[in-house]
Amino acid sequence: MRRLTLVDELARVEGNGGITVELEGENIRKIEFNIFEGPRAIERILQGRPAQDVAGIVCRICAICAGVHYLTSVKATEAAFGTRVTETTELLRDLFVRAGNIESHALHVFMLAAPDYLGYPGSIAMAADHPVEVKLALRLKKLGNTLQELVGGRAIHPVNPVLGGFGRLPQAVDLIVARDELLWAIDALPAALDFVAALPSTEVCSADNTYAALVMPGRYGYFAGDEIEVVRADGTRQRVPGNEYRNLTNEYVLAHSFAKHSAFEGQPFAVGALSRLVVNRSLVSGSGQNALKRLGLHLPSRTPLDNNLAQAIELAMDLELALETIDRLLQGALVPQAPVAVKPRAGTGTGVTEAPRGLLVHSYTYNEDGRIVAADVITPTAMNAASIERHFQVAVSQHASGTDAALTKKLEMIVRAYDPCISCSVHLVRRS
Amino acid sequence: MAKPTVGIFGLTGCAGDQLLILNCEDELLGLVHLLDIREFVMASSARDELARLDIALVEGAVVTDRDERTLRHVRERANLLIAIGACAVTGGIPGMAPELDRKVLFREIYGDGADGFDLKAERGRPLSDFVKVDAVIPGCPIEKHEFLGAIAALLQGNMPRVKEYPVCTECRLRENRCLLIQDGAMCIGSVTRAGCNARCPSLGVPCIGCRGPAVDANFPSLEALLVSKGFEAKDIHDKLGVFARLPQPAEAPCAD
Repeated sequence: MRRLTLVDELARVEGNGGITVELEGENIRKIEFNIFEGPRAIERILQGRPAQDVAGIVCRICAICAGVHYLTSVKATEAAFGTRVTETTELLRDLFVRAGNIESHALHVFMLAAPDYLGYPGSIAMAADHPVEVKLALRLKKLGNTLQELVGGRAIHPVNPVLGGFGRLPQAVDLIVARDELLWAIDALPAALDFVAALPSTEVCSADNTYAALVMPGRYGYFAGDEIEVVRADGTRQRVPGNEYRNLTNEYVLAHSFAKHSAFEGQPFAVGALSRLVVNRSLVSGSGQNALKRLGLHLPSRTPLDNNLAQAIELAMDLELALETIDRLLQGALVPQAPVAVKPRAGTGTGVTEAPRGLLVHSYTYNEDGRIVAADVITPTAMNAASIERHFQVAVSQHASGTDAALTKKLEMIVRAYDPCISCSVHLVRRS
Repeated sequence: MAKPTVGIFGLTGCAGDQLLILNCEDELLGLVHLLDIREFVMASSARDELARLDIALVEGAVVTDRDERTLRHVRERANLLIAIGACAVTGGIPGMAPELDRKVLFREIYGDGADGFDLKAERGRPLSDFVKVDAVIPGCPIEKHEFLGAIAALLQGNMPRVKEYPVCTECRLRENRCLLIQDGAMCIGSVTRAGCNARCPSLGVPCIGCRGPAVDANFPSLEALLVSKGFEAKDIHDKLGVFARLPQPAEAPCAD
């Protein structure tokens, strides 16, 4: 029996975790997703809390996705209360969540994933040989943070978005400054894409997959929309209304694994940038199409590593679409206003969005005083666990003759390509 | 002067303080020239787990036995141990709602799976409940200028200092409208440690206390004021209970 430890603590991912795989011949006997992160019981602690306190607590699940957790929470609460917000608020929310995507992708593609392809332990070591690219990635990442701070009041754990709108709208002059930096980024991006295109091609596993993502209403984005679409391996599509998310996730527990798994029609499915491109392909804009060609990504893909390329393609689109949103705001949509009034009522509301690493669901039930009765949070990493495991099995079958070190590296690259967020794995269960 | 050896560690939390370090995009490449970073698992798979450390920065609360073992091992290796962020300094979000029995909660959420959790504490505990902490950088997350200021101080051979006065002081200096007195909002900046330059009230958003209690914070006075504004005791208790609670005597003793 072979036992592969994907390092005791999985480096270059958010949070504390490790993965151990036990093999018998070409078969995986056991996979342990070891979540070292202690349980925090955040969903349960929310019970009894008033609506306006919820987002500020629940965003602390995770720092990298804090912005989208915060706004998905707001979306769920507003759905429960039947709140309708203004166009200004919608535009600023779209910009804020997109900025989080820019920051997260710049960090993941260039600083967390790229070192694997080039054989470095991390981006700081990589910077010695690739200073231009690392500095470029840092500046793109900073742009995402600047925009998040400008709209959200803080890059990590936002404070300015509130139920019904924003505490204070950003100043036009700050948007103009950010716009200049976006113009720089759009000019600089081809060099970044060249760097990604030149990463040595690496074969880890080859298999078709099932993809799930938010259906984006008319424009490529991560916040608007209430429906999920699944694209099966045979190319057929199935819609699932957001508030019926349990029909997508069907969480279950497996005896041989320590993670709660999600399966649609009995099949694992993937969420993330690659899934978003597959589901919303018709919305991929000009810069996205160019990036697709430049990186040679063919949809649907047969390798999970393509998620790294898909993130780079989203980065290209995000810069262009963020510029478009800022221009709309500057051309009249930035109307001074207070948040719209929010009237609590009893009921359940579900918010479905796209975090950088995939579909995110918050669902809350409130009582008539606007206090939480029940909260459910399903994160992308929890949804991806079964798909990661399936790709591990394929990789092991296809590369069983390799050395332990070679196979371990492949499995690490697979799990890292999913851009997992261990802190986010609120529903991953570990059993002993 | 030799570069100080540094380790950056995360216990149970959101990793936001480590992310804030990575968010120092303009300073990061300069920092690695001034510091000899031996361990920073979130950023690099290269690790030197036995190195003596001049400075250890530790984020997160102690929730599991593993958290405690990691913390004690880091303490043994480090000349200076610095708690970074609300979880490490006061217990933060994992330390919320002390009245709720965690074992019952985990069973409710995770079912039988909860039996496998390796639980140290009833709830998240600050580092100082277990080891000697030499300095703190407060905040949820820490503020960039306080982090860089702390590193600058350490490089000069000084200890980092934190502000002892409350957010209210900074808010008054910015001449903001008072959200509590003038608007009747439940703002708790008067008991919260300054250093954020009144980030939230300057946006018209009430302070939720994420930087923990100020030194000599006058809780009874704030509570009386909030009651006079019509807030209920339970709501006041819940709001103060998220971040701003004062350390209870039972939590204070240090193991060393």
